[in-house]
Amino acid sequence: MSLKNPKLLLAIPAIALIFVFMILPITNMVEMSFRTPGTSAPFGDDYTAQHYDRILSDGHYWSVLIRSLLTAGLVTVLCLIVSYPIAWHMSKARGMKAVFLYACIASPLMTGVLVRNFGWMIAAALNGPLNQTLLGLGIIEMPLRLLFTQGLVILALVHVFVPFMVLPINNALRNISPTLIEASSSMGATRREVFRDIILPLSFPGIYPGMILVYVLAVAAYVTPALLGGAMVSYMPTLIIGELTGTFQWPFGSALAIVLSVSTILVVALFTALTSRLMERSKA
Amino acid sequence: MATVEVRDLRKRYQDFLALDGVSLKAETGQLVTLLGPSGCGKSTTLRCLAGFLEANGGEITVDGESILGTPANRRGFGVVFQNYALFPHMTVAENIGYGLKIQKLPKSEIETRVYDAMKLVRLDGLGDRLPRAISGGQQQRVALARALVLKPKLLLLDEPLANLDARLRDEVRWLIRDLQQQSGITAFYVTHDQSEAMAMSDMVAVMKAGRVAQFATPREIYQKPTERYVADFTGEANFIPCQSVTPQGEGRYAITAAGATLELEGVPGITGPAELLLRPEALSLTAPEAGTFKGTVTKSAFLGAALHCEITLPDGSMLKLAAEPNHKVRTGEVVGIAIDNSHAWLMPEVAP
Repeated sequence: MSLKNPKLLLAIPAIALIFVFMILPITNMVEMSFRTPGTSAPFGDDYTAQHYDRILSDGHYWSVLIRSLLTAGLVTVLCLIVSYPIAWHMSKARGMKAVFLYACIASPLMTGVLVRNFGWMIAAALNGPLNQTLLGLGIIEMPLRLLFTQGLVILALVHVFVPFMVLPINNALRNISPTLIEASSSMGATRREVFRDIILPLSFPGIYPGMILVYVLAVAAYVTPALLGGAMVSYMPTLIIGELTGTFQWPFGSALAIVLSVSTILVVALFTALTSRLMERSKA
Repeated sequence: MATVEVRDLRKRYQDFLALDGVSLKAETGQLVTLLGPSGCGKSTTLRCLAGFLEANGGEITVDGESILGTPANRRGFGVVFQNYALFPHMTVAENIGYGLKIQKLPKSEIETRVYDAMKLVRLDGLGDRLPRAISGGQQQRVALARALVLKPKLLLLDEPLANLDARLRDEVRWLIRDLQQQSGITAFYVTHDQSEAMAMSDMVAVMKAGRVAQFATPREIYQKPTERYVADFTGEANFIPCQSVTPQGEGRYAITAAGATLELEGVPGITGPAELLLRPEALSLTAPEAGTFKGTVTKSAFLGAALHCEITLPDGSMLKLAAEPNHKVRTGEVVGIAIDNSHAWLMPEVAP
């Protein structure tokens, strides 16, 4: 390295950053997850696989893990459905209209996570604006119990993750040449066929990163499920934080975190493998 | 297979009039070229024909029936784009077969027709490649095959050769012309290259600011242009203002220009000021006393096949001509210029 390889030299800050803030903590956590529980310290002196054994053999942890992964999947799919039309309109906008739309899209991110979630708590309360509106419109006769439900958690997560889906898809849609759409329609394709055969596959280079981003963020979301999900349903992040700060079981909490991370990576890898052909073809 | 008529077509973009009454006609099997500089409305006309743009006025008929109410996907026209517009995520064979798949034809028929189309444009064996893995010339041929495989009533080509290098351009140009003539498809061809227009077309429409300046055969466009704009756009041309014009019957005139008297053909019905069009091939160098004009050589350059000369006439107008390459001329020399009357043409002066 040194002067003979200046490219490597330039990469040192990035490598150092990743090493100190990613490799080291993860290694530390993996090691921690194999420690025996301690009574006077966060962890004991010996190594054991008992935490993994306990997680994998207990149906409760399995069900929380699967609920976390499925909920994140649902959030991702809903987010895609909500975001695609928004991204489409954004990709058509120019000038001030585009700037205005970007600002609207980014608005969920401009509020702090706690403020946003307390906002949802107020909005979803029994006599809150959501129920008042539904009652006022005559859609319901009795106020709905919205707070502390999975549905509200999913709604709040979709709301905040929309920008992560819209922006890459918008970008991909902007890269589709309008002549491709004209070409396919001159070949007889209806608007629906143009969308199915041309626009949708060619926007996949935007759909893919959007889905990955939202999925990973949704799996790891803590504040929203903790505040809006209530005590009845637990997700992996709430469970992990409970172990770390509630019962102070660092080794067990670490093992849970590692299980969640590995599961997430597996899901992402599976998705990538299933869509690799489409991705290979559609990227510019 | 189809007679196409465009009548008084108008298209307005906010405060810009892109088409100001375009009228054209293509008989069955003809290739009609729309020729003009960028912004003249040639692509706009083509896009109205294809159905990508809605005209603000006028009429387009195919075999006598209006198509203005028919959306692009039901017109059944083949379109070839300047940037080819191949679907990047589909293979060559999938690109060519896309229109057939939309028609829900049986797989075996699609395969046969795609195979035949690829053979026609000499793309055999490239069916499984993605567009990005083939050359520009090959991409252009895929675009052509993709349009022809649907047996369109009308073929629309929007500067199909603009992105190719000179050698390929020639090759693909003849391929397009051959295929168009073999299949007898009526075609509209947009270009800003006059040599392309001359070589390929049955009819040429020279366009100027949203109107058709002249619509005629390539020979007429070149030899008998209706105005200076057309003459200028279709090749090298010299213009000399006339001092006097005396009609001598239908389309014949006696004129005086740059001190000489000539009798020649011209645009019928000229009454006002006129100018003389002399193509370089109408002119040859001769002895000072023998020529129609007498002038001073101001520039000469040996180009191999010809000697390019610029000669200034007494009235100040300048003539460019291609002399026989072994002719010896010196700058400043006084020479005579002989005119081949059959290549001279009189046009009215029209505001550019």
